[in-house]
Amino acid sequence: MAAFAQDDDELARMQELSNKWESDATGPLVSERLASSAITTEYANADPVYQAKTASLPQKYAQYRTCRGDGHCGWRAVAFGYFETLMRIGDSQKFREEETRLKSMCNILNAAGHQEHLYEDFADDTIELLRETASASDGGAALLQTFNDSNRSMSIITYLKLLTSAWIQKHPDLYQPFINQPVQSYCRSHIEPSVCEIEHVGMNALVDVLVKPAGIAVEILYLDRTPGDEVNTYRFDPVDHHNEPLPAPPTLRLLYRPGHYDILYKLEDLPQQAALPFNPAPQNVFVALNHTSTETTHHKIAFELDNIEIPGMSFYPGPNMGWSNFPQYDFSPVSVPYPHSSSRSLPTPSYAPVPVAHAPEYYTTSVTVPPPSVAPVTLPHHPAPHAPIDRVGPFRPSIWEYETNFAPAAPHLPLCQTAIFRNSHYNTAHFNNPDFEPEQWQPDSEYGHTERPRKKSSHS
Amino acid sequence: MSNNQKRIGKEFQECTQTPPKGCTVKLVDESNLLKWEIIMDGPEGSIYEGGHFKLLLTLPNDYPFKPPVLNFQTKVYHPNITNDEKGSMCLGMLRADEWKPPNKIINVLKMARGLLEAPNPDDAVETSIAEQYKNDRKGFEKTAKDWTKKYASGK
Repeated sequence: MAAFAQDDDELARMQELSNKWESDATGPLVSERLASSAITTEYANADPVYQAKTASLPQKYAQYRTCRGDGHCGWRAVAFGYFETLMRIGDSQKFREEETRLKSMCNILNAAGHQEHLYEDFADDTIELLRETASASDGGAALLQTFNDSNRSMSIITYLKLLTSAWIQKHPDLYQPFINQPVQSYCRSHIEPSVCEIEHVGMNALVDVLVKPAGIAVEILYLDRTPGDEVNTYRFDPVDHHNEPLPAPPTLRLLYRPGHYDILYKLEDLPQQAALPFNPAPQNVFVALNHTSTETTHHKIAFELDNIEIPGMSFYPGPNMGWSNFPQYDFSPVSVPYPHSSSRSLPTPSYAPVPVAHAPEYYTTSVTVPPPSVAPVTLPHHPAPHAPIDRVGPFRPSIWEYETNFAPAAPHLPLCQTAIFRNSHYNTAHFNNPDFEPEQWQPDSEYGHTERPRKKSSHS
Repeated sequence: MSNNQKRIGKEFQECTQTPPKGCTVKLVDESNLLKWEIIMDGPEGSIYEGGHFKLLLTLPNDYPFKPPVLNFQTKVYHPNITNDEKGSMCLGMLRADEWKPPNKIINVLKMARGLLEAPNPDDAVETSIAEQYKNDRKGFEKTAKDWTKKYASGK
């Protein structure tokens, strides 16, 4: 008996531990858009099936966002995707329709026995975000921020859970076949609790109640170990009043790995503007999301490296990109010698005459052109395409080196500001290539040893 | 955060204006909405009748997305309340995996009082007390009454 009690105590203790357990998942609740080649890298040493499937992924799906794996990821991914896709549609009428539709949902919530005074806070938060998103002109930065505010994020997730629960209970015929308990108790135990991951039934219902009626399709890519070279895709298509599929609906794409959801993007899902090289206004989305990280890193570089060669800086058109402290450095021609221009550098002067407006094109395309010496002449005529995801080979030819005629470019500031950031590849290049990244962003380890001594010696 | 304060404020108001039967609610510290002190009278007709139990209700920072924590600061002999200095009650809606954000504190208090009236030995934290409750009800009741008199009779 004593032993039994002890076991029981032990069990109770374990239960307690298990109740207290919280996912130690870290990272942003919803991340910025990343190049999906990172997924390939993640699985580089995994099972061959995963390797094959993730290798083919970036070709179709250029970018993705991670959602923190804290048990809410599926709910959060759909919620974020819903708002973001509405924003991409960019139709204020649509936002009004959605607001009206969500408000009318109180009927099914009430019908399912939810009391208005208990859910109104969550509903209000959701409607509020809908309005904010409708009037936002920041390219989604505020939306991302909202979703990274755990309280607001949870409030919206809670609303969607209640909505999903109510929807399932309103349409038991659709969902009961997939549940081996009464819908009501299923909803109480598997949908509504604060900590519960979305299951397939929940995902179906959530898509049915939230996303499809908004005219948005959902595509879920299942990355698992089933045989094949590509991920399995399942699509939910919105239908019109006659139950006919809507033509070419905007699509929200999710990457499902057992137990976890992230958000995927095809190139066509990205803000149109980001893909158009010379249209300044539209980049908003891309720029806003990536600006911060780029900026801080460059600040750091500028501080640590004095004014020696800074990779990528040869294309730097002017100081007005958030690198506010840049102009304070002395860019006189003597400051940067080119010790091995013969072996790896372009002749410095070749850059000087290039119109500043073309600089970003150099930047993007240069990575795809192996012989650096060709770059200055031919590249300006290339339309800047999306950067290839798989960037290997001579990514770092010496064209990245700081060039002495840098300073004269400054007058073209406004042009260049849009030009560089127009270039989604700028960031893509940065995030994309795992081999490249440390060299670009960790000047201390990479350049501190090699470049700096060289410079010193040349000065002395 | 402001939203959460608003909700907690509303709930506190509800609990003070129309308190659940046998409960009085106040803040431990007027400036902190997250810690509530509750005096719960033992339900009439129950073995805890005549007792006044002091409870501490602590709301997590991310309330209502995490459940409140309920502690009996008065010692109480009960299968669902830990027999230690914490006096934790953690079952049903108070469990992290069962908590739903639309749940309300007033219902938590009602549930707690309901448990004083009718313990739930099948979901016990004190298994030996639960055993006794099931197999030796008289002995259980005697100890529970003794403890109520000893620890919970004063104000």
